Amino acid sequence: MADITSTAAPAAAKASRKGLSEAWFAWALIAPALLFIGVIVAWPLVETVRLSFTDADLGGESWVGLANYEKMLSGAKFFEIVGRTFFWMVLSVGLKLVVGLIGATLLNAAIPGRALFRMMIMPPWVIPIAIGCIGWLWLYNGQFGFLSGMSQRLGLLDGPFEFLAYRNSAFYAAIVTDVWVGTPMVSLFFLAAMQGVNRDLYEAAWVDGAGRWYRFRRITIPQIMPVIVSMALLSAIWTFNSFEIIYILTQGGPRGGTTTMIIDTYKTAIGNYKFGEGAARAVAIVVILGVFSLLYLKVLDRVNKHYGVK
Amino acid sequence: MATLNLQNITKSFGTAQVLQGIDLAIKDKEFVVFVGPSGCGKSTLLRIVAGLELATSGQIVIDGTDVSALAPVDRGISMVFQSYALYPHLTVFENIAFPLRVQKLPETDVRAKVAKAAEILQLGEKLHLKPGQLSGGQRQRVAIGRSIVRNPKIFLFDEPLSNLDAALRGDMRVELSQLHRDLAATMIYVTHDQIEAMTMAHRIVVLNAGRVEQFGTPMELYHHPATRFVATFIGQPNMNLVPATVLGTDATGLSVELEGGLRLTLPVDAGRAKTGDRVEVGVRPENTALGDGLSMKVRVLERLGGVSITYCVTPSGARFCASLPGDAAIAEGQTIGLAINPADCHVFDANGRVMRRRMAPALAA
Repeated sequence: MADITSTAAPAAAKASRKGLSEAWFAWALIAPALLFIGVIVAWPLVETVRLSFTDADLGGESWVGLANYEKMLSGAKFFEIVGRTFFWMVLSVGLKLVVGLIGATLLNAAIPGRALFRMMIMPPWVIPIAIGCIGWLWLYNGQFGFLSGMSQRLGLLDGPFEFLAYRNSAFYAAIVTDVWVGTPMVSLFFLAAMQGVNRDLYEAAWVDGAGRWYRFRRITIPQIMPVIVSMALLSAIWTFNSFEIIYILTQGGPRGGTTTMIIDTYKTAIGNYKFGEGAARAVAIVVILGVFSLLYLKVLDRVNKHYGVK
Repeated sequence: MATLNLQNITKSFGTAQVLQGIDLAIKDKEFVVFVGPSGCGKSTLLRIVAGLELATSGQIVIDGTDVSALAPVDRGISMVFQSYALYPHLTVFENIAFPLRVQKLPETDVRAKVAKAAEILQLGEKLHLKPGQLSGGQRQRVAIGRSIVRNPKIFLFDEPLSNLDAALRGDMRVELSQLHRDLAATMIYVTHDQIEAMTMAHRIVVLNAGRVEQFGTPMELYHHPATRFVATFIGQPNMNLVPATVLGTDATGLSVELEGGLRLTLPVDAGRAKTGDRVEVGVRPENTALGDGLSMKVRVLERLGGVSITYCVTPSGARFCASLPGDAAIAEGQTIGLAINPADCHVFDANGRVMRRRMAPALAA
């Protein structure tokens, strides 16, 4: 007994010292990451929120409370832009998923030259977006563009058509370009997921008489569903924030026909030097995307559970 | 009725010929095991029977019908995979029901068939669970259930117990044998585990390098291995092979001098063997006993309780394994003598072909 009591106190002291140094060590380990997040993420975010409560412009700033938000939410234009942004996102993401799924299925099929096709889908993703968009600018050009010329030759158009000069056609043209840029990555993720499906599942289904379409519906789709959901939600966030494509093609025009929230924010803050009002719009985007992110985590968790990943 | 005849089946992948003219006739309700080392072609042969691979040449005849060109589903077979191949997103019920859903059977029939299979496999309580929530043995049963509901002519099993731990494998062996008796169906089972082959099979096909080395009952393979390969593949621990020189032949058999000088007259059909020929004498570890005979030193001793597996080294440096009584008074490093009964010996000629033993125990049919 004497031995135990005499050694207990130093042992406790040692443990406490060890605990303290362990805590410091842990902080030291995460310090670089904390610094990085603090400088790159947290500070700009906090600064944006602060700016949104000011009337900051080139001439200085003063506190205006919720005035920027009141102004933003009182105009019909803002809600029109929000609606357009969601339409842009839903249509573009939907097309990316469908085209990506078809592409991945074809790339996964045992066909000759498969490796070549796999390489051929990469350029839209590999080429810098600005370069790709300039290519599309040429394609959409009415006077000497490929699409206008080909449509006239085929008799689809009577004369030159400037795709980016009209609100509707400019919007859908931008969608096509966005899908062109975004689909390869979706395809590659789907392809990777498809290749991860245990081949025995297909063979077992084949032995049981399941045809190609049945196997695709009942095995491939459920097996890659977690990836489909991941890509749908991540792609939604990226597409919501897609800036370069629209800005290079149309700068948000004509007459605001391709202005999404991110373009509106840029035009307000940087184009018109209304930093305060722009910041309020940026905060609105953060809130919407925050909701999206929460939704993403929740849905993914449910999907993983449902499809047997967890 | 479900017989299977394989006629001169060959299979090549590019220039590699993995099956070289397989001929087999499997009887109705027979449990046949394909066994052999990795890469011997046993799984390929099973996949050819299933229709998952096409044979390069040859015919597969089930119940008198050539099914070589038919899709798997039209062959009347079902298959259980090594990986179980269960659909992780479907419940146990839906996994078992999968083939029936493909056939678009009415819901009442599906329920009845799944319930029956679940009852046979004691899965009734688990039908609502997903495969991820089951143990390895239960998953294997679900895979078997999916086979049962199709009511196939022939069940194919591709190493179904490989992913299970040793204890569960033992239990599942017993269950599969029982299942075979209950279903009274023809079953073909691929394994690399000779214990599975010996314990479950009516007849075993030993494959080596794409050829059938021997097709016979487990006891035939054990007592009358046709080749050196079968002799060393079947039996645990492996048969010892001792180089020997033929001294002569007479009516009593073959006289040989084993490496180390021991002379024996072995009761085998010596065939064309002549004096001076080099042969190998096969001695199973369990056919040895302490006594006068081969002298060797104990290298490693494994006491298993009932038996002592004794790994020895002969004066010439060759290894020799003996299975001695559990309480044998020996120790590692000790030099011992091992007595061999000539009647228990197998003799292989220079080509690895056996000289048939005359005094082997009577075999069960």
